[in-house]
Amino acid sequence: MKTGMRKWWSAALVLVLAAALISACGGSRDKGGPAEGGGSQSPASSASPNASSNSGSSDGQDENPYRDKYDPPVTITTVWGVDPALQFKNGETIENNVATRWALETLGIKVETLWSVTDTNNAFVTKMRLALASGQQMPDVVTIGDEQLAHDLIDSGLFREVGSLFDAYANEKWKQAMALDPHVWDPYIRDGKRMGIPVLDYAYNHDYLLWIRQDWMDKLNLEAPKTLDDLETIMDAFKHRNPDGLSPDQVTPLSIGFKNTFNTWMGDPSWVFGAFGTIPEQWNLAEDGTLAWGSIHPGAKQALETLKRWRDLGYIPAEAALWDENKTAEPAVAGTAGIIPGPYWMSGWPLQDTEKNVPHAVWKPYPIPAGPDGKAGRHGTRFTNGVTLISKDAKHPEALFTYQNYLFEQLADPEPGSQWDIGVFKGYDYDLDASGNPIYGDDIPGGPVNINRYWLVRDGARIPDAQMKALLALADGKEPETRLEKEVKNNYGPETPAAAKVLMSQPDISYTNLFSGPPTPTMTSKLDYLKKIELQTFSEIIYGQKSLDEFDKFVQTWKSSGGDQMTKEVNDWYNQTK
Amino acid sequence: MRPTLRRTWPLHLMLLPALAGLVVFNYVPLGGIVMAFMDYKPWLGFDHSPWIGLDHFRALFEREDSLQVIWNTLIISVFKIVFNLLVPLIFAILLNEVRIRLLTRTIQTMVYLPHFLSWVILGGILVNFLSTDGGFVNRVLGAIGIGPIPFLMHGDWFRFTVIVSDVWKEFGYGTIVFIAALANVDPALYEAAEVDGASRWKQTLHITIPSLLPMAIVVGTLSLGNILNAGFDQIFNLYNSMVMNKGDIIDTFVYRTAILEGNFGFATAVGLFKSVVSMVLIVGAYRLAYQYANYRVF
Repeated sequence: MKTGMRKWWSAALVLVLAAALISACGGSRDKGGPAEGGGSQSPASSASPNASSNSGSSDGQDENPYRDKYDPPVTITTVWGVDPALQFKNGETIENNVATRWALETLGIKVETLWSVTDTNNAFVTKMRLALASGQQMPDVVTIGDEQLAHDLIDSGLFREVGSLFDAYANEKWKQAMALDPHVWDPYIRDGKRMGIPVLDYAYNHDYLLWIRQDWMDKLNLEAPKTLDDLETIMDAFKHRNPDGLSPDQVTPLSIGFKNTFNTWMGDPSWVFGAFGTIPEQWNLAEDGTLAWGSIHPGAKQALETLKRWRDLGYIPAEAALWDENKTAEPAVAGTAGIIPGPYWMSGWPLQDTEKNVPHAVWKPYPIPAGPDGKAGRHGTRFTNGVTLISKDAKHPEALFTYQNYLFEQLADPEPGSQWDIGVFKGYDYDLDASGNPIYGDDIPGGPVNINRYWLVRDGARIPDAQMKALLALADGKEPETRLEKEVKNNYGPETPAAAKVLMSQPDISYTNLFSGPPTPTMTSKLDYLKKIELQTFSEIIYGQKSLDEFDKFVQTWKSSGGDQMTKEVNDWYNQTK
Repeated sequence: MRPTLRRTWPLHLMLLPALAGLVVFNYVPLGGIVMAFMDYKPWLGFDHSPWIGLDHFRALFEREDSLQVIWNTLIISVFKIVFNLLVPLIFAILLNEVRIRLLTRTIQTMVYLPHFLSWVILGGILVNFLSTDGGFVNRVLGAIGIGPIPFLMHGDWFRFTVIVSDVWKEFGYGTIVFIAALANVDPALYEAAEVDGASRWKQTLHITIPSLLPMAIVVGTLSLGNILNAGFDQIFNLYNSMVMNKGDIIDTFVYRTAILEGNFGFATAVGLFKSVVSMVLIVGAYRLAYQYANYRVF
């Protein structure tokens, strides 16, 4: 009897365990469920405003559905990759916060979240890919930063053409901003149709210039470098007559690195190629109007010869082939480097830290010097940072334009005295002190939050040249008046306005990578190999392990190993965007 | 048979959850292998992605540098496997001869520690440490008249550096297994040997090494499964434009061509290729171990 009981107990235990396992499995399936559950619900919830808008449009069936404010409210569904550093206050979440309440109250747009994920280790891209793979409902509106994912989503056919919507509904401010660079649409054009709205960002962020130690220049009585020859004189003086008394082997006259690429954003050598008429590792416009890979241009050979000479003379780091971008900043901050190429905002980070090591160090921005033929060039940055896609099933695609038009009008570059001039949401990005003056940053009770990440489209609305214009105004000695001007003055390093001015003194030398389409078939199979032999050949020539003539051999190999085919495909793409 | 089953069936039933977990998490995903033969697009799924046969494998072997990459992987991993077996073995024997327990323990902990450092950190340290431009190692070598050695910037030196640094990092961990095996050697054997007048060296040769051999074979057999893993973390953090032709391995190659570009099919094909090669090697090694060392798992 007793053993019988025990047997039953153990059997029951097993059953409980098995049930627990099964329910655990079911639980994990349920976890995936809310997205799907929310998905199946949201058509219903967006169906009700749809029904009411139908009743609204009973006044006139083909009336323009666009409203400045929707009444009753309409719903836009979306998904979020939440920056782990993003803070919330007052118990808010990305699903429900001051910005979603604002959208509902001011515009009658209900922003509904299908799912959100903390975006560490590419979690958002992964989750989005999985949502795509498992056939979950796509959000009405989603902003994608990852190029490859954006192309995959467009090619999935789940998102609609947006060009006609943009033409119909976007306001003048937005259209003007979009027109600043005619190439912004290029990556998202399929068969002549614009399939995604580029997310505009501040321009020139990664266009670089030269930062030079002004205190060294002054002590040595050196002039600003106009040409590469001038630069060599300066580098030689920095190395052999160092004003800080550093011995030649301690000085890095020019801090550059090319561990992974010859075309990057800090410590970048690509302007040396620019001086000879090409920018490496990107597609440039050739003289005959076609696109050509910059690294096989004859100018690249001369650039390599120059870099090799500089390495032999000890002007660039002995181990530049091992240095990535952040490594090139190390000697600059340590006070042992004389020149570093980098973006205009570098005086804030990292160069501001130099004075901790060398209190008398002064960094000043200088234009990119020209080569022997008077050519100069640097790589340019696209004006965009991702793309906004609209689902085929979106009931109210025009509501996105209501939202964005408002932000372009009010947020992008507000006039002094306008609604959001001193800040957007009181108690979040600004607050008022007792006497009614605006306060920012940590002075805000409970701390500040970056409300620009709460908007439906990342960073709300940015006009590409607005920040640069504000900086130029400051550089000319203007007192900061508009919100943007105040912002750049408060948030960027002291030399930033001057650097912006230097940057804009050479507007024509920035060359952007003109290919921005989805990878072509040959690229998928060959580009990595071609880049690999390119990187290795270039490095070995600079380090003298191969003779300069190996460059011509490399060009031949490049062309015959798929390069020619790739060039053809790239030009086919280029022609269809025109 | 039957009466036993009647008595033990609850126990068998208890196995079920674990078995279900094994099937769900280890066997069902095996179905994903079909991706290796598809131009897999996530939005098309398994049902609608086009079948492309062996195209991914063809692409893997037709790339100009694929043989080189496989060769690099083999060279680096074979040396790593050999030295990661020999060094801990010898070190364990040497450590076993140290009779001061405190010293043994301290040394053991010290050599064990690098195992816990990640290659991201070590990569940064090594770049500075091995620099030809004032790095510690080259300054020491310079002091005794050996010219700066480009540890990380020359293909052959790069392989050397990768292998030595990996052995340095991992041998302490490997030593533990052998120390444990040594603790199990019957002390009576040594006593008997001493009575027979065997010297310390003879005891090592005829007692210690033979008793460690089975463990060495187990460790060696298991590590053969890694023959196509030359250590992604390490290479990825150390390689650079100068050593691409000698330092690029299958995993870094897959990372660049497949993972970065969302090319799931190709990544799966390479993974499948690696698994098949590893399985053949493990089965082969197991047969050998079974035949010659009487080592058996089953």
